[in-house]
Parts: sequence; structure tokens; C-alpha cells
Amino acid sequence: MRPSLSRRFGRSAVTLTLFSTVAFLIAPIVLTVVASFAASWTGVLPSGFVTFENWRAVLGLADTIGSQRSMGWDPLFSLPLGGETLSVLVPAELAFSIGLALGGVLINLVVGVPIAYAVARYEFPGREWVNAVSVLPLVPGVILGVAFLRAYPDLSATSFGLIVGYSLLKAPFMVMAVQSEFESMPLRQLEESARSLGASWPRTFLTVIVPNARSGIVSGAIICWALAAAEFNFSYIVWAKGTQPLALFLQRHISNSSFTKAAAAVSMFFFIIVAVTLLLQRVGRRGFDTRGS
Amino acid sequence: MSDRHAENSPLSTLRALAARVVGAVETVANPVTEREREYRRIVALCAPFSVLLLVAGLYPLSEVVRISVSTAQYRSVGFSLDAYATLFGDPYYRRVAFDSLWLTTGTTLVSVGLAVPIAHALEKYDLPGEDLLVTLVSFPISLPGIVAAFMILVLFGNNGVVTAVAAALTGSRPTDLAFAVSVPGLFVAFVYSMVPRATLILRGTYAEVDSAAEEAAQALGATPFETFRYVTLPQIRPGITGALILTFRTGLAIFGTLVVIQTLVVWTLQLSRELGVGYDVQVAGAMATVYFAFTFLFTVLGLRYTSAEVGI
Repeated sequence: MRPSLSRRFGRSAVTLTLFSTVAFLIAPIVLTVVASFAASWTGVLPSGFVTFENWRAVLGLADTIGSQRSMGWDPLFSLPLGGETLSVLVPAELAFSIGLALGGVLINLVVGVPIAYAVARYEFPGREWVNAVSVLPLVPGVILGVAFLRAYPDLSATSFGLIVGYSLLKAPFMVMAVQSEFESMPLRQLEESARSLGASWPRTFLTVIVPNARSGIVSGAIICWALAAAEFNFSYIVWAKGTQPLALFLQRHISNSSFTKAAAAVSMFFFIIVAVTLLLQRVGRRGFDTRGS
Repeated sequence: MSDRHAENSPLSTLRALAARVVGAVETVANPVTEREREYRRIVALCAPFSVLLLVAGLYPLSEVVRISVSTAQYRSVGFSLDAYATLFGDPYYRRVAFDSLWLTTGTTLVSVGLAVPIAHALEKYDLPGEDLLVTLVSFPISLPGIVAAFMILVLFGNNGVVTAVAAALTGSRPTDLAFAVSVPGLFVAFVYSMVPRATLILRGTYAEVDSAAEEAAQALGATPFETFRYVTLPQIRPGITGALILTFRTGLAIFGTLVVIQTLVVWTLQLSRELGVGYDVQVAGAMATVYFAFTFLFTVLGLRYTSAEVGI
């Protein structure tokens, strides 16, 4: 009897699907990083290596104009040093996005950790619904952007508006990360031991439960931070003027700049994500390992 | 009308509901039993999220619904369904809805179709460098749509690598072969964003599959395909349904990709255009309302009438 088709080819076909998809996903990323160090890309492959001109332009170290304008450098803080002032300059768009995303993460911590605990620890009517509402994104960024413009016309384009919007959009990721951590913990025993030793319930939650879930909370915070820093759709709708969030800066370069310069802008973003992924792995997760949409 | 109907009238249902709400509030404010104290804790734990949801989500959405039925531009007054009449009557908007739905459906099927073998290989086979492969497949999840679009330009654009290689091989001009800025290019860009998410969901499903049953099937002489078809697939079906629902939602929400590759006007892109000069705020509100109602109903029905697993 001849071996079946799936016994002969099944495994190779499945493995081939995996490797070709990985190639499709990763090849353009590698090429982009390579091209960011090239002078031009007109033939089959980029040429004119190695130049840092694209990076200098994107990071605002070389003179640029118009829509290809690179990042501005703003003083982050100034130190008075013996009569002179030492200003620490940072790339404006980058620092702006980092700050906005951090603000979003702070709100996510306050709203995400408690609700994840409620769902993981307690049984109550409507628990399934609370879970679904907290782990499914309510609306996409575009819709939320329109809603913010209607409801808070003066506030929506401010940093505060962006932070609140980011926090609602990214909250599901925090809830999922923290919830999976809670589910691996003996919550009932922890809570009851602490209570029997005389700790009040709020104190138990804040000083026993939360510190024990630290790795889930940290990885949730990192994921939310990265996703908020990259949020384009919401920012595109509500942003009006001033320093651009990073994603808008990227879009401006992708739409207007030369290919190699756009590659440098996108590569800068890749490096941020790689740094975040490495951080996540140190916290004990494999890449962006939280499920969700 | 019979008495039974009267009892179920909206007003008395509302009154009963109000009584229950008041009772619940009293319980939460003055808990007596341990069970009531537990309810108070649950309410306290859910409160911060509820406040954010209300202030940043539900109130803004209600304002969108208000403007969509407003009779005046920029102010919510009166009541008119003109915007909805435009939305459902104008063939242009029907076309936009149709384009969004087929593009998202097609890319969802392709993405989940690819994600099943990928998750299978990652979870079932002993591959060298598996951790690295998982990291690489997950990496694009964190990339916004504009970057996904750029990736497609890198591969299939006028200067794209695949384009250049194909042009060199066939001797035709690159501009004739480049398809990044076309509907197929947009399709591929959607798949680029959606495959990693679908894979992530299905890997979670695969992690819970009972491998003893599969080994038994193999030992009894089932081919790998038969094992997959009759042993593995029934176990992962809820995960596949969940992945279809979530990936479809992801696909409908895509916007940044369309800003870069503007070849097909889908719902989100048209919505952003309505906000531009000379466009209609009411129609924008109506589009947002319809979008929200559609995804909400679709998710609720999907979760209610299938055994789909969503989240953890």
C-alpha cells in the first residue's frame, strides 16, 4: 500500500507555509533596515553603502525642509550649572509620543489591573459580559477619533485628549496580560492568608495581590506602551497642530520622503519595537504574546 | 391586551429594573453579609474601568449618534434621518460598504487559513529555533497599518524587490509589474497585518489540544490528514471561529494602510473623508453609528450563537 498523500507531503507543506509566511513578514523589515543605510534604491537592490545621511535627516541632525522636515529638537529640561544653563535636548516627536504613551499606560494600570482581578478572582452575575467588554476593543481608532471630536471639541486635540483616547483603545491588552497572570496565581489562598493575618481587603489587594502579579503587569504595561506609541488611526483623526505623534511623523515620511529616508524613519520605529520585545522577553514572555485583536 | 402583556410592558420592566438597581446600590453602600461585601469589592474593582468606558467611550459615542440625526450642521438639534437615508439610499455608500465587506471577508479567510498551518507547525512540530520563529511571526502585531503598507511597497512597489526581480527575469518594465498600489496590493497589505494576529489566537487554541487523542489516532493507522480532520479540527473549531470574528473586526478597523495605499474606498477611509472641508458631519456620525452597531451586533451574535472563544 502506498503511503497516503498527507503522510508524504503533509508535514513539508505545513512547514513550508510557516517558513514562507515568516519570510513574507520579515523580509521587508530586513530590507527596510538595510535600505536605511543606502544612498539610493533604484535598481534591484539598494546601493551606495554605508551612509548615515538618511538617519541624520530623520533624526533632525541635518537640515531638512517642507513635508520631509525631520524631527525638531526640544529641550526636555534645563539645569542651571554655575551661571550657564545646560539644556538636555531630545527629538521632539519621539519624546512627545513616549510621554503620551506613558500617560496612557498609567491610566491603563489604574483601570486594567482591578477589573482583571475582579474577573479572575470572583464569580458574579454578568462576569462573562464584564470580561468581554474589558478584553474586546470597543471601537476602532477612527470611530473613537470622530466621537472625541464631537464630544470634546476643545480637548480632543490636546495631549490629555490623546492620552485618554490611547488608554481606552489599548486597555484590552493590559486587561488580557494581567488577567492571564492572575489566572496562574492561587488568588483565593493568597487573599485568605493575608486576610487571616489581619490585613484589610484594600491592603491585601495593593500589597499582596498586585506585587505578586508584577510580571504580568509589567508586560501588559510594555505592550500597551508600544501600541500607544504606534497608534495612528486615532491620532490622525484628532491631531490638529503642534508636535506630531510618532505615527503621524512616520506617515508623513512614507508619503513624502525619498524611499531610503522613509526606510530610516520606519527603521527607527522597528528599533523601538525590538527594544520593547527584548524587554518583554526579559520579563518572561515570548514577544507580543497576549491574545486579542 | 392581556394582563400578561401588561406585566411585560416596557414601563413596568423599567420600574422593576430601577427597583433592582436601587436595591443593588443600597447593598453596595451598606454591605451586611460577607457576600454583599464581596459585591462591593467587585463594584470597586470595576469602577475605574467603567468610568473610563463612560467618559471616553460611551458618552462620545452617544454624541456621535446625536449628531447623526441632527438637522443642523455642527450642532445637535432636532431629529432627522436624512444622513441615514443618504447612507442607505446613495449607491456610492452601498458600494463603499460592499467593498469594505468583501475585502475584509476575503483577507480574514486568507489570514485564518494561513494561521491554522502556522499555529499547527509551531505547536505540533519540533522545529529548530521555534522561539525565534514565534517572535518573528508575532513582531508585525505591533506595527501600525501605515508601516504594513510600507512593507508592501518595499516588496511590490515600483522600486520593490519582488517587482525588480520579476522585471529582471521577464524583461518587462518594473512599473508594469508593480502592484502594491492596487486592490491586490491592498489585499496583501491587509493580510500582512492580520496573519500575525490570527496566528496568536490560534496558538492559544492549539496549546489546549489534547495530544493523547491524536497519538491514539495515529497509532490506530489514521493518516496525518485524517488525524487533523477528525481529531484536531473538532477541538480547535471554537478557536477558529473566535479567530475569524476577531480577525474580521481587525480587518474592518484598518485605516492607516488605506491612507498610504488609497486604491479602494472602504468605510473607515470614507469616514475620515467626511470630516474634510465641504463634507457632511451628519453623514460621518451616521457612518460611525452604523459601524459601531454592525460590529457590536456581529460580535454579540457571533459569541452567542457559536462556541467561539474570545480572549482568554
